[in-house]
Amino acid sequence: MKFETSTTEFLSAVGTATRFVERRANLPVLAGILMVAEGGRLTLRATNLECGVEITVPAKIATEGMVVVPAGVLSGFLNTARGKTVSISLVGEVCKVETERASASIKTLPHEDFPVLPRVSAERSFTAKSADLARAIRSVAYCASLSATKPELQSVLLSADGGKLTAAATDSFRLAEKVVPLRGSASTPQLLVPARNAAELMRILDTAGGEAEIYFNENQLSTHVGTIYYTSRVIDAAFPNYKQIIPKTFATEALVLREDLAVALKSISIFADKFSHVSVSLDPVKKTLTLTSRNPDVGEQVCTLKATISGEPFTMSFNGRYLADSLQSAQGESIKIQANGPGKAILIRDAGDDSFFYLAMPMNR
Amino acid sequence: MFCTYSFFDGKVVTAYSYTTNPMTTTKELWENALVELELTISKPNFNTWFKDTHIVKVEEGTVYLGVPSQFARDWLSTKFHKDILRSLRSLSDTVRSVEYIISRGPKKNTVEEARTVPPPPSELPLESIHQKTNLNPRFTFSSLVVGPFNELAHAAAQAVIRKPGIAYNPLLIYGPTGLGKTHLIQSIGNHFRVTTPDRKVQYMTSEKFSMDYVSSLQAGKVQSFKEKYRQYDLLIMDDVQFLAKMEKTKEEFFHLFNFLHDGNKQLIFTSDQHPNVIQGLEDRMRSRLNAGMIVSVTPPDHESRLAIVRAKATAHNVIMPDEVLEYLATTVEGNVRELEGALNLLLIQFELRNNETLTLNDAKTLLRGAASATKKAVSVQEVVRTISGFYGVEEHSIYEKTRRKEVVRPRQVIMFLLREDFKISFPTIGEKLGGRDHTTVIHSCEKIKNDLRSDSVLSQELSQIRLMLK
Repeated sequence: MKFETSTTEFLSAVGTATRFVERRANLPVLAGILMVAEGGRLTLRATNLECGVEITVPAKIATEGMVVVPAGVLSGFLNTARGKTVSISLVGEVCKVETERASASIKTLPHEDFPVLPRVSAERSFTAKSADLARAIRSVAYCASLSATKPELQSVLLSADGGKLTAAATDSFRLAEKVVPLRGSASTPQLLVPARNAAELMRILDTAGGEAEIYFNENQLSTHVGTIYYTSRVIDAAFPNYKQIIPKTFATEALVLREDLAVALKSISIFADKFSHVSVSLDPVKKTLTLTSRNPDVGEQVCTLKATISGEPFTMSFNGRYLADSLQSAQGESIKIQANGPGKAILIRDAGDDSFFYLAMPMNR
Repeated sequence: MFCTYSFFDGKVVTAYSYTTNPMTTTKELWENALVELELTISKPNFNTWFKDTHIVKVEEGTVYLGVPSQFARDWLSTKFHKDILRSLRSLSDTVRSVEYIISRGPKKNTVEEARTVPPPPSELPLESIHQKTNLNPRFTFSSLVVGPFNELAHAAAQAVIRKPGIAYNPLLIYGPTGLGKTHLIQSIGNHFRVTTPDRKVQYMTSEKFSMDYVSSLQAGKVQSFKEKYRQYDLLIMDDVQFLAKMEKTKEEFFHLFNFLHDGNKQLIFTSDQHPNVIQGLEDRMRSRLNAGMIVSVTPPDHESRLAIVRAKATAHNVIMPDEVLEYLATTVEGNVRELEGALNLLLIQFELRNNETLTLNDAKTLLRGAASATKKAVSVQEVVRTISGFYGVEEHSIYEKTRRKEVVRPRQVIMFLLREDFKISFPTIGEKLGGRDHTTVIHSCEKIKNDLRSDSVLSQELSQIRLMLK
């Protein structure tokens, strides 16, 4: 095997593939990237058996063949390599990587053990703008649970219906939902993509741009964007029926500038205790939103913001980090906070945009 | 303390779909196939791809194999299909093809089942070694026969029980094997375990201690090893003489000893020799062991042996004629363990004969082998060499006509031992030791015998020499 390719394109492809590599796998070959030079094309493949990626890179192929090299070594070497082109050849069991300035001989892994990526038939699919799809995932993915006990809570829910795609995630203490427009009117069942895999899909969509068509079946989901083929496992579980817990009526409603609240939450977090405990008060008479945090080891802070408030006065404790998280996904100028008294969840949404909402449970003393 | 409410308290229903009907036969079939596949496929490949696989169903010669993901399905069907089919066919003639289905399978169910069923007790609780303390509950004071041979050790043990950590600390019991040292020290431990359960008692052999230390070194957990041992209120260690050969363990043992001793925690040890003669033991350790109480157990005298045999027979609910027990106690000399073995021989015979009483003649025939095995032939030269070496005198001076004091004593000891232990006649002894008169020999034996009554150093020396001659 022997080929020559542009350093920048090869490096970015290797960088993407490296994110899919499993370093601690039972199967050593999964720590590597498979490079296939065949039919005038160079394809890079990497997988951790949860999700996988295949990237085509334009290359001048002298001899066809395939090789697996450890991803960490290859990307580490290329990151410091300078020069326009890189040429790669296989000599016996050693892969020679040469740039203008440096050349490396990398020990290879047996390519016979490298698995194929699952293909999903084109029967069922939905299409959206890559940017929209990436935004949907970005708006909710941070809410997914980190604990592995419930795989459905570790996932991002994607479900298309009536020309819209709904993305949602929850760790059962807070929940986020984002709706983005679809191309066409495809309808899908609930697709649960592990949050880690969804984050990788998001990064690929961000760089690819354009439109993305997502193919799916009960077990697998995949897409072809630009030169990249991406595939992920779909979790066989049911997402909790969260629609029923969204409150319909509210005792208190407040409107506050998003930027003001974000800055206030950032500053209040300095004084928050290890539980990020922040007390939120809404006063409809004074028209103020007051945030208080207290840490016996540091001190305390009170922060008052002007707000438009209707309904009853309201005071409750929250995890300040949960509140701050919600603001990164909202984009409008102001934020609407809706509450229902002690022990009930509060709803945070973009005042001018109904496509996003965030639900957070209060803290209990 | 704060906690955040959960939205879905008790409402989250996990809806895994199980299409499986796990039959034991298909389960066994797949397990057997896996055993075969494991041999042909490399370990990483096997662990990666065959994990969580199972047979969902078998229909008309087609085996439907449940696999966890599409990754696994695609790879198994392209790469390992032939191997799987071959191994299944070799186990069952009816298998014609294999299909792969993605299914989570019965894994989750079995995990939950396993969790709800408590592990069955693997041993009967009564006889088992006590888990926490490592003590064998069989060893108690009530089952210990006390006689002149161990009464000092027994008294010391009683003193330790009355005033642990103060009376005699450390207590070291030494003596040859099979004389009930372990029984005695475990009895102390068991006494504390029953009367003061909150006291942390630990029994162990020095070998276990050393192994523990080595594995803690390997795992880089020396600190937790130290902490584990320093929490005990009563540490009983068997056969400490083995520690003398292990440099690092010995050092660790020294620090542990100091820590526990400073905290007035009771330490109890056994060894096969007096610490002063254990090779390789450092002076600092020797002096510390000497600071406590050192008692010896000696081979039981005839009366004690008889008492032991009687007690053991009663414990087995067997009544033996006195003459048989007497014969047993007389012929089987040496340690209690051998005595017990000989008695067991009689007990089995007793049972075989449907509890018919054994006569003295029966016992004699049965014990012929056991009795003769206890004697060992040692040449006179060897005895002389050993004993002169022990006392540090020239071997040839024993045979000479000298009456120097440092030679006379060893010579008398040699004569005594040759007579007592090896039953050599007085004239022969005299002849072999430089042509002396048999009356000289008789006098020497009487002298040593008399001295033994008052001289504890001499009796210690004799037991050392007897050990060396074994």
